[in-house]
Amino acid sequence: MSFIFNFADISVRIILPILAVIIVYEGYVSIRHRRREKRPLIMLADVDSNNIYPVYYWENSIGRRKSSDIQIKDMTVSREHAVLFRREKAWFISDTGSKSGVYLNGKLVRGSVPVYVNAVLSIGSKNLMLKRVSDCINDISSDSSAEKNKKAVHPFLLMLTVSLFLLFLTIDASLSDNINKKDIFIIFGIFVGISWLFYIISTFVFKRATFELESIALMLTGVGIIIIAGTNTRQAYVQLIAGSIGIICYCCLIKFMEKTDVVAKYRFSISILAILLLAINLIFGDVKNGAQNWIEIGSISVQPSEFVKIAFIFVGTSTLNQLQKSKNLTGFILFSLICIGALCLMGDFGTACIFYVTFLLISFMRSGSITAFILGIAAAVIGVIVILNFKPYIATRFEAWGHVWEYAQTSGYQQANVLTYSASGGLFGVGIGNGELRYIFAATSDLAFGVMCEELGVVLAIIIVCAIAGLALYTRGSILRSRSTFYSISACTAAGLLLFQAALNIFGATDILPLTGVTLPFISQGGSSIISVWGLLSFMKASDERTYGVKRK
Amino acid sequence: MKRTRNRSILLLILTVTFFIGLIYFAVNLIIHQEEWASKPMNQYVSGSGGLDRAGTIYDRNGIVVASSSNGTRNYSNNVNIRKAILHTVGDSTNNIATSVQVFYRKQLIGFNALTGYSNNSHDITLTLDSEVCRKVYESMENVKGTTIVYNYKTGEIVCLVSTPSYDPENIPSDLLTNAKYDGAYINRAISSTYAPGSIFKIVTAAAAIDTIPNVMDRTFTCNGSKLINGELITCMLEHGEIDMKTAMAKSCNIAFAELAVEVGKDIMTETANKMGINTKYYINDIPTKSGNYNVSNADDNALAWSGIGQYTDLVNPISMLIICGAIANNGTPVKPYIISEISDGNILTNDKTKTEYYNQMISPSTNSVIADMLDYTMLSHYGKDMFEGMDICAKTGTAEVGGGKQPNAWMVGYSKDEDFPYAFVVVVEEGGYGISSAGPIAVTAMKALLP
Repeated sequence: MSFIFNFADISVRIILPILAVIIVYEGYVSIRHRRREKRPLIMLADVDSNNIYPVYYWENSIGRRKSSDIQIKDMTVSREHAVLFRREKAWFISDTGSKSGVYLNGKLVRGSVPVYVNAVLSIGSKNLMLKRVSDCINDISSDSSAEKNKKAVHPFLLMLTVSLFLLFLTIDASLSDNINKKDIFIIFGIFVGISWLFYIISTFVFKRATFELESIALMLTGVGIIIIAGTNTRQAYVQLIAGSIGIICYCCLIKFMEKTDVVAKYRFSISILAILLLAINLIFGDVKNGAQNWIEIGSISVQPSEFVKIAFIFVGTSTLNQLQKSKNLTGFILFSLICIGALCLMGDFGTACIFYVTFLLISFMRSGSITAFILGIAAAVIGVIVILNFKPYIATRFEAWGHVWEYAQTSGYQQANVLTYSASGGLFGVGIGNGELRYIFAATSDLAFGVMCEELGVVLAIIIVCAIAGLALYTRGSILRSRSTFYSISACTAAGLLLFQAALNIFGATDILPLTGVTLPFISQGGSSIISVWGLLSFMKASDERTYGVKRK
Repeated sequence: MKRTRNRSILLLILTVTFFIGLIYFAVNLIIHQEEWASKPMNQYVSGSGGLDRAGTIYDRNGIVVASSSNGTRNYSNNVNIRKAILHTVGDSTNNIATSVQVFYRKQLIGFNALTGYSNNSHDITLTLDSEVCRKVYESMENVKGTTIVYNYKTGEIVCLVSTPSYDPENIPSDLLTNAKYDGAYINRAISSTYAPGSIFKIVTAAAAIDTIPNVMDRTFTCNGSKLINGELITCMLEHGEIDMKTAMAKSCNIAFAELAVEVGKDIMTETANKMGINTKYYINDIPTKSGNYNVSNADDNALAWSGIGQYTDLVNPISMLIICGAIANNGTPVKPYIISEISDGNILTNDKTKTEYYNQMISPSTNSVIADMLDYTMLSHYGKDMFEGMDICAKTGTAEVGGGKQPNAWMVGYSKDEDFPYAFVVVVEEGGYGISSAGPIAVTAMKALLP
């Protein structure tokens, strides 16, 4: 009997990684699918010569610079002359501080002015006429064979696979003696119900054509909830509710970001709100585990710094025309200093570190300066040395770095436990709820990766982590065709932030990096964290042009 | 847009770095998996961790001697069986370092690289006969020492008892304070060494027969004591004119002291090494404590004493058992083992111990002379009817330990009968004469094995 039982147990745990691989693979294949082929949106024809400039992007820089989207090799054209961009209603032109100005049908352009077909733009000595693509090239399709579209799985099937995966995970959990079978299936039922409701709303109300990003995020969130349910049913419900709030935030944020001009209007208010949140945190915050990053509201405790992450990205990014006009980063640097300073005062160095990396990412995405990026990292190293002088307890963490076994009972306690139990799980794990690591302090949040290794097995844990890292690859893929640099930069930053946070969590807990105390995106227990992660995911979704562009028929 | 897109290469670099880190972790994990999983902090293996779901341990007849049910570890129903095999099986506190439950914890719980510590426990079958062990234990309950019996044809250790012992189901509260339990955690068969006394004459005899021509025809004169290098070697009795065979039977110190000196340090050391006195053996994977024969700084008097098992000589009971096995087996011993099978219920992956041989210890010609001497010793000195219904060759030892203590008593030997192929070693600490204290225990053990 016990042999048959074991067999069921083991086979479930072998099916799980297979399903996970299918989901991750199919998910990312679909992401590449149904993209617009690389062909021009519109053309700019030189009136004086026969030169034609194809316009590929929603936002195009025009200038002499080689890296301009539309490069005009003419000394009368400024290096970064203007930006031609498309909005819902029409194409617009915006002068971005050129020497000679931009003229539309002979009139000097101030601010953003709509450009209609057959209008003539005078840039330097060049006169360019906006033309439909079909007027210039007869056979459009001849140019578009480059992109191969691999047949993608239907979003419905992908969601079905995700549900199946979570079902098997729940069955695995229910086999453990430590887990209440009824509770775990109720939690599974509610979560899958919410997931499908989300799918239906996204598909039939918002009429979105794609659901891969959401499917993968739902899978990850589900894994987190089921792991938490293994220790604490109540916490699993909290995570479930927070996850739902996160999904709602996600939908709202995507709606909010649909019009980049609206975002620009709110940017200042968002930055003030973020600073206020941090100030409230500093004044009224509670100290938990050495960091004052909690606010208690009734029986709910909130971590405001999690929400500030979203605000941080909003404040840091911008559309191309605004970017080219004002290269000044002072405001953003000031805002970043306030945020990071506040986090350091709270003693939340893990989050401060994430913010700093996010800051570097944004400044690099905006300026493209490698020097600044390297200087930034150098400054960080100096900063760490300074911090170590003021907060010696962090230094004790460094002493254990690389020597966790010597400090296994003191400063390396968590890491040593993660390593020993990760090794105890084997390739396929001991099953959800059967692990020992989950009884260590903060296991399902800070040590979530270790818990996954032990209970789900190293194979599945790594696949799940790859799914998180895959979000970055997804973002990289969608950035090119984003409708605005706002989307590109924000998505790139959000993905970088999540990736860095995942790296801190995983490599900190496994003694590869010397820092613990941040959550693993989607998986870790933490209501504020899961809401924030879904919020960050909305940047990635918004950067995909299909989100707003392609509608379901 | 193009520029922004190009800058997103940073994201790609970050992702690649992340994957490199992940691979680094995975490779590290694979390399160190066993080591990390065995760390003492690991609840699967530390304390009583994991024993509550460990596999069953059976004796050779399929009798359950340890098993887990409902989260507790249970041992044999019979209190004396529990005590008799305690040192082999182990207890739930893991204080017996050489026990199967400590040494084979990973297998009992079922650790492997593929499934980690998931419910994949293995059962272990011992070669011990728990009933025989119980009878032997009952005969040595009030002494400290050890009894080992093994099948010199197959290598199975059928009896291994170490005393003092205690009940693993009911561990006495004064275990660490009561002198009665001195060294109760030690498996004396595996982890102890004792001065061998007269049983070491077997080694000296082997050295002498190998190197001195016609030594068996020689006559020795025993006057009860003899001056060697200015100091006395003493004998129990005045044996007078005596040949080597009788000297072995009557355990004459003078004859063997003279032989040791004549053979010399080098040959004595070489023979002792060849016969495994200084060898650390492995019973399955459990290491024994090696004995000690070192005469590098000995003068002739000390060398003489070393030849009769005194001086600094120390012998591990298992290594003595292997010597007996060698003599019984024409000079080449069979490797003793205590675990016959580790099984996960799957016939394909069962791990069964096979009979293996060590290198030849004694040349067949020398061996037949020694075997003959031990046969004669039993016949002439102790009387063959001591072991009723068996044909036993044996030698006793009474090893002085000094410090006003009674000597340690030894009896080692084997059955000549190939259908009853058992070799035995009995040690009784401060037992006095070998024949009177170790003898009856050896008889009990061998008798219990009779079909």
